[in-house]
Amino acid sequence: MQKVAIIGVGQTRFGNIIDKKAEELFAEAFLEAVNDVDKGIDISEIQEVYIGNSGVGGGQLGNFSSLMTDYVGLTGASALRIENACASSGFAMRAAILAVSSGVCDVALAGGEEKMNDTPRNRVRYWLGISGDMEWERLSGMTFAGVFALMAIRHMHEYGTKREHLAMVSVKNHKNGASNPKAHLQRETTLERALASPMIAYPLTLFDCCPISDGASAVIVCKADLAKKYTDTPVYVAGHGGSTDRLSVFQRDDVTSINSSVVAAKRAYKMASVKPEDIDVAEVHDCFTIAEIIAYEDLGFCPKGKGGKLLEEGQTEIGGKIPVNPSGGLKSKGHPVGATGTGQIYEIVNQLRGSVEKKNRQVSGAEIGLTHNTGGSGGTTVVHILKR
Amino acid sequence: MSIGILGYGVYIPQYRINKAEYVKAWGRFAAAGIEEKAVPGFDEDSVTMAVEASMNALDHAKVDASKLNAIYFASTSSPYAEKLVSSTIAMALGAPPRVSVADFTSSTMAGTSALLLSLDFVASGRGHFALIVASDCPYADPGDFLEHPLGAGAAAFVVGEGTPIATIEGSGCTTIEALGERFRKHGEKFIETLGIPAYTQAVIMNTVTSSVKALLNSTGRKPSDFNFVVLPQFDGRLPSGIARKIGFEETQFVPSMIVSQVGDAGAASPLIGLAKVLDEAKPGHKVLVTSYGAGASSDAVSINVNEEIMKRKGAVSSVKDYLADKKYIDYIYYLKIKKMI
Amino acid sequence: MAHVSIPSYWKTLPQRYCLIGMKCKNCGTINFPAREICISCKQKSEFEPKKLSGRGKIYSYTVIAAGSAPPEFSEQEKLAGSFPVAIVELEEGLRICAQITDYEEEDLKIEAEVEAVFRKIYEEDKVIRYGLKFRPVKKRKSLP
Repeated sequence: MQKVAIIGVGQTRFGNIIDKKAEELFAEAFLEAVNDVDKGIDISEIQEVYIGNSGVGGGQLGNFSSLMTDYVGLTGASALRIENACASSGFAMRAAILAVSSGVCDVALAGGEEKMNDTPRNRVRYWLGISGDMEWERLSGMTFAGVFALMAIRHMHEYGTKREHLAMVSVKNHKNGASNPKAHLQRETTLERALASPMIAYPLTLFDCCPISDGASAVIVCKADLAKKYTDTPVYVAGHGGSTDRLSVFQRDDVTSINSSVVAAKRAYKMASVKPEDIDVAEVHDCFTIAEIIAYEDLGFCPKGKGGKLLEEGQTEIGGKIPVNPSGGLKSKGHPVGATGTGQIYEIVNQLRGSVEKKNRQVSGAEIGLTHNTGGSGGTTVVHILKR
Repeated sequence: MSIGILGYGVYIPQYRINKAEYVKAWGRFAAAGIEEKAVPGFDEDSVTMAVEASMNALDHAKVDASKLNAIYFASTSSPYAEKLVSSTIAMALGAPPRVSVADFTSSTMAGTSALLLSLDFVASGRGHFALIVASDCPYADPGDFLEHPLGAGAAAFVVGEGTPIATIEGSGCTTIEALGERFRKHGEKFIETLGIPAYTQAVIMNTVTSSVKALLNSTGRKPSDFNFVVLPQFDGRLPSGIARKIGFEETQFVPSMIVSQVGDAGAASPLIGLAKVLDEAKPGHKVLVTSYGAGASSDAVSINVNEEIMKRKGAVSSVKDYLADKKYIDYIYYLKIKKMI
Repeated sequence: MAHVSIPSYWKTLPQRYCLIGMKCKNCGTINFPAREICISCKQKSEFEPKKLSGRGKIYSYTVIAAGSAPPEFSEQEKLAGSFPVAIVELEEGLRICAQITDYEEEDLKIEAEVEAVFRKIYEEDKVIRYGLKFRPVKKRKSLP
């Protein structure tokens, strides 16, 4: 198996981007990734393309990858749209890694794109609900926030987690996102405001939920032994793992954990030969604040049930033992569903290179980073471990 | 083994709206003798109310749904003008696919029609057990005083072979052609009336009186033979008028009165009234049930209460239990959940 | 637009109307909804229908705020505002997801006893979709 390196990353600003069409958003991220390859790359060298997109709003649902490759001058490359809900581009990243490591190609592109804010509210609701269990959960009136609220209530019941802990995730991620020029919500918040904001699905308030964002991201990978030809600062893929869990949360044995995260992380740690305590910085899937707390536990950053305590101690803040979501996470940076996974890679690559635009967001000396990208309510999860 | 009523059950939704809410909204409450009325929740309709009443009846009769040979649904407010809902009820109860079903609609008399036909179904040997369920929540234009008395509720009876809690002694019927009292044209949601109260009153009085007379003649009974009499309860005043005309005392018909708390529950009213007196009846008691359907027809049914009823008392929730379990709503919420705004 | 088709809904009516679980003849686990490969022993097995009691306890719950429900429930939202949804653990040990109806706020807690009740779930293309919700145990007396 070939080792794989990341040689270029790009990401649009996440947020309300009305003036760009889907392919224009993708092109922006793609061109940034191409320009990020500091020694230059001829785009015709890209042989395999994987683009995450969950099809929110409809649009070019069929042959989406052809539209994207056509628009950015990649016609001729093999291309695939990858749909694993909110983990679409995380899995697109893994597909690109597999394409290179299997020896099928030398250079591959992973990316993601989603436009969500050009669709009427009620129709967005149609699309958001399609990634949870449609037949039983959705037809009980359940929403994504609702499913994570069920996890939160149970986590509170079993481990004494409090609404304040949820709000602490929000406050931390907003603080980080406030210094991220590409974040959707670039403003800080307070514990009081987070707790007092409108209820979305008890116990989750508006400040426990990520925003609905537009955006795109792109990552160029190549065989590790070719990396120095393209850049002086490659970041290496040390490990990766994907997994699935039961689609419907109500059929899972334990709703306070997402088993696909546990399994995907185990596989990634094993491949990278690292332990949770070796991770210097992580981008985790905080679609809702409770999801970040559960991710701490599932990824092994703390024992089961101690996610709240980890927050109280400030260990996941920048400067803590294991800084989580220095980008602001989905909560503040934003969550353009199909673009989130490669957006996390964009952040970790910059953290490991030490090239984060603002120093207060830079985790100093970070050598090993982790990304954790979950689809829907945990039906799919992919974890990547990157090394400088 | 004989044929008769093996068990019964009711359902009354928990929401209530009272007179004062109507007075606030309209200046008056045009429903004589009604203090409050039952309102189905936003997720209820005549079908869901029927399912719960039927479950109660099956439990009370100790008959498993898998034994049912017939299910008859009676209502003026089936959610479908065309499409069986007795089939929906059959599946929800767990009745076998070979069950025979029918929807009796378009008359507030549908409940007694279905009850009498279910007895014929069993008596003719077509099957051993039949369930009839009358469930209704009639609709009228909120701007029409006709809307004021309209309530909701359901009653179900299991009829079959066994040791009945009550048996049917006989029945009488009268049918005449009458126009323009209470009607709902095809495709309309709301019932209407031409609003000639004296005429409506006279047609109801004459038809019901005549069906009771037919019953008394055929059974050789006299009005005083009955311990309980259930009279049409479109409002709280009508029963006393009919009683006076035929010669029933207040002690006979007042125990069956549900309209003051449930409102006019259409095709279900006569059978909820019957359920209420059966809750109180002792072996040897006689009950007369009447119904009326605009257009116009009336059934009168004579029922003997048997020893078995004592064994079944308190087995399932009674009319009183349902009347006591209530939650008041205001007029705006009432209009919302009845989908009238 | 994304939705559950009528034939798909129809296929699950035994579950939706009267809680028919499918008992695996291999390991005895009740599968609800029905599956081809048993959720527990993961074997391709034979299944026999088993009617579930409809009684259980709230395992977890939430209240979906008005304005955020799936579009199938926007009509309900308009009529009744926010509504609770729960995972209910049935007496038989398995869990299902359903709305809680006819409730008071204090009824919403883990371990609260609930019972199944037949209700309208939603309407699409004029077709009413009935199914089960749960309500606090207090109403219908049943025989022992």
